[in-house]
Amino acid sequence: MSEARKPQLVSDPHNLWKGSTGLRQAKRAKAELFQTLGVRVVPDDQKVEMAIKYLDKYRKEVRSFVMAMESCVKCGLCAENCHTYLGTGDPNNIPANRADLIRKVYKRYFTVQGRLFGSLVGAEDLTLDMLEKWYSYFYQCSECRRCGHVCPFGIDTCEVTFVGRQILFNLGIAPQLHTATGKAILETGNHMGLTKPGIEDTLEFLTEEIEEQYGWPIEFPVDKPDSDILYVPSSADFMLNPDTLKGAARFFQYVGANWTISSKIAEAGNFGYLSDQNRVQKELVNRAISEAVKLGCKKIVWGECGHGWRAAKMYIPTKSDYPDVDRIPITHIHDEVVEYIKAGALKLDKGRNPFSVTLHDPCNYVRACGLCDNMRIIMNAVVEDFREMHPCREQNFCCGGGSGILFDDPDMYQFRIEASLKKAEQIRATGAQVLCAPCSICKAQFYPMVKEHKLGVQVKGLIDLVGRALVFPDDQFEDDMEL
Amino acid sequence: MDQFVGQILPYITVAIFLGGITWRIWRWMIPRIVHNITLAPFPSSWFTAIVLMLWQALSFWNLLKFDRPLWVGAWPMHIALLNIVGGHVVGFYTLGLQFHIIAPLIITEHMSEVASDFLGTFFGLVFLAALLYLLYRRFAVEKVKAVSSASDYLHLVLLIAIAALGNYMRLVPEVHMTYAEVREFLAGLFLFSPEPLPENVLFVWKFFLVQVLMIVFPFSKLMHAFGFFWERWIVNRPYKEAPLGLPNAKLQIQK
Amino acid sequence: MPTLDVGGGKVIELDEDGFMVDPNEWTPECAVALAKTEGVEELTDTHWKIINYLRDYYQKNGIAPMIRKLCKDTGIKLKEVYELFPSGPAKGACKLAGLPKPTGCV
Repeated sequence: MSEARKPQLVSDPHNLWKGSTGLRQAKRAKAELFQTLGVRVVPDDQKVEMAIKYLDKYRKEVRSFVMAMESCVKCGLCAENCHTYLGTGDPNNIPANRADLIRKVYKRYFTVQGRLFGSLVGAEDLTLDMLEKWYSYFYQCSECRRCGHVCPFGIDTCEVTFVGRQILFNLGIAPQLHTATGKAILETGNHMGLTKPGIEDTLEFLTEEIEEQYGWPIEFPVDKPDSDILYVPSSADFMLNPDTLKGAARFFQYVGANWTISSKIAEAGNFGYLSDQNRVQKELVNRAISEAVKLGCKKIVWGECGHGWRAAKMYIPTKSDYPDVDRIPITHIHDEVVEYIKAGALKLDKGRNPFSVTLHDPCNYVRACGLCDNMRIIMNAVVEDFREMHPCREQNFCCGGGSGILFDDPDMYQFRIEASLKKAEQIRATGAQVLCAPCSICKAQFYPMVKEHKLGVQVKGLIDLVGRALVFPDDQFEDDMEL
Repeated sequence: MDQFVGQILPYITVAIFLGGITWRIWRWMIPRIVHNITLAPFPSSWFTAIVLMLWQALSFWNLLKFDRPLWVGAWPMHIALLNIVGGHVVGFYTLGLQFHIIAPLIITEHMSEVASDFLGTFFGLVFLAALLYLLYRRFAVEKVKAVSSASDYLHLVLLIAIAALGNYMRLVPEVHMTYAEVREFLAGLFLFSPEPLPENVLFVWKFFLVQVLMIVFPFSKLMHAFGFFWERWIVNRPYKEAPLGLPNAKLQIQK
Repeated sequence: MPTLDVGGGKVIELDEDGFMVDPNEWTPECAVALAKTEGVEELTDTHWKIINYLRDYYQKNGIAPMIRKLCKDTGIKLKEVYELFPSGPAKGACKLAGLPKPTGCV
């Protein structure tokens, strides 16, 4: 990256948007790809009319969206609480303004003041240009809900981004990444298109890895009938995060659980939730329950994935079509580990994690799923030198890749660098050697971003560290980590 | 004209004000709360959730925590407004004797009038100063300017005009109105036998502008007074955690 | 659809990201032509070692291997992989080997 393009945080609020005037947009999916998801791309001359129809539909269905449209007083508090605005300085990335891209249209068509006084109250006709803006800015929002957390009214701008993305998806506008991932979901039940032979081969490899590292192997059961626990890992773990899978296996082995991974739902995340909350999101929701039923599981334990855990914890109960959803509890592996730690039932050796570690709180864990304290209980039990970054817990800033905006086309990659500026600053201040980021999107964002920002930290999950610290009688621990 | 503003318009205003609020809230109630999207940390019960909501409403806690310069203007403005609205109701109804009525043995009629005058003047000035500060912010603070549209300025200007007229009438003896004069006029309206407007141009203007405010209220962001509770009802609600523990695992936790 | 002339009269179809639409059409010539689009001028033996490994693995398992497995089985360190394929193993190397572009959290 050349120095000239090096972005800076908006530390001075007067230092507003100096970037290019062009809209930043991720590469979008073609009509053929949309067709595989059962969506026909709406022709340009019908897009506006259809978009208004969908907007009308959602305003009659989703109260969280309507209240976000109706309650904002434009106090400006959210501006400096959004990492995207801080990193890009683009005023349309101020959450109030981003929501206003829809609110203007909402006012114009569905409110008295907007119909009568138009521009006075900031109402605008919907145009194709506006739809282009929606596509640009709703895919720059990482749905981290920090603005909702700080808003005096609790206005959840994430709900606006959801509706914006859903309308665009219905029209046949979505990033190639999200749409291609949606296709993989429908075909294989995971984001990466993992096949059963691929899953089994990877897990066999990890069994060998465990043997090398700890002196004895642990088998990973796949599609094992009559299991008690269905473990749902993130599919990215099969390609990028081997230690997360190893950590989970060591934990289940330690407590003697009768567990299994299903090749039909090897996915803790849910890109449907991030682009199409109907067909695509439901596919994974329903697979989770139907697979648990098929394999006889009494409980589903979710793996490390931020948005995925929110989508599971908060959406599966209200979205699933299967009656068993009310009979199969779904919990997060961190919460389960904490139960054992609290009871003193795990023998943990901090000495196996002798480095300094800082914790990046995944947005969905802390603001949507209440995992704040539990992550810290684990952290303090498994590492010697835990350093908080500031701000942390519910006030933590997003990694910059939240909601799957992990685009690699040059303009959007540059955006990812800017959106992670605030985070980089936080991490650097801790001086830690290891960055614990227990979420697949965070990990995928950090692997390249620690290089871009020259942070010099290793990225790990939290279960990775648990797996290392767990002491089995047969362990002959040999550290494979290079700092 | 005076007859319209003083004797006819008030009934239209109140009808629009109450009808408009009802209509808008009714529209909020049509869509459902589809998923539990409560913000963490979750309240453990509805009681805690409501305490949390009220605490936010009374202290403007999020502003205090995340944007102190805004809180300095917004909180005093709203507290002053609350007192002013309340003061108008009880002050005119009791002719400034509200404190005497509450504690007749301790507070004399005169003391009550003095207290009523003092509080009215105090909150009136705080209200005006805070509004001017908030207007200044809309012009001067770049991020606030970036989110403002014309109506945001106009709402403030309208409130400032009303507050300025009120303060002016209270502080300048030549245009001062007594509680009794105002009460007589308002009583006429409430009893559906409207009296003519008092002969005070400033009062007529103020009375008119307040009606404009009430007409605008249901169709503007001023509805945030209600929106606050409807929004927080969605994002601050209790959540029941699924039970922990791994069924049939060899290592079980004794509870 | 963009296409790429790989020489010898053979033209392959690419998707929007420059990955081969049909992985079965892959020949070593494709890797050479695709390398240019990735800014890799010359394919060394180490490049070929990785490409051939990826091809074999994909044909056997239908997916790209875990990156750690790739490094371990080929004996090439991750850092070197990044030097050989600037956009990394998941994107750069897979593209040259004719694998589809990875989706999800990568």
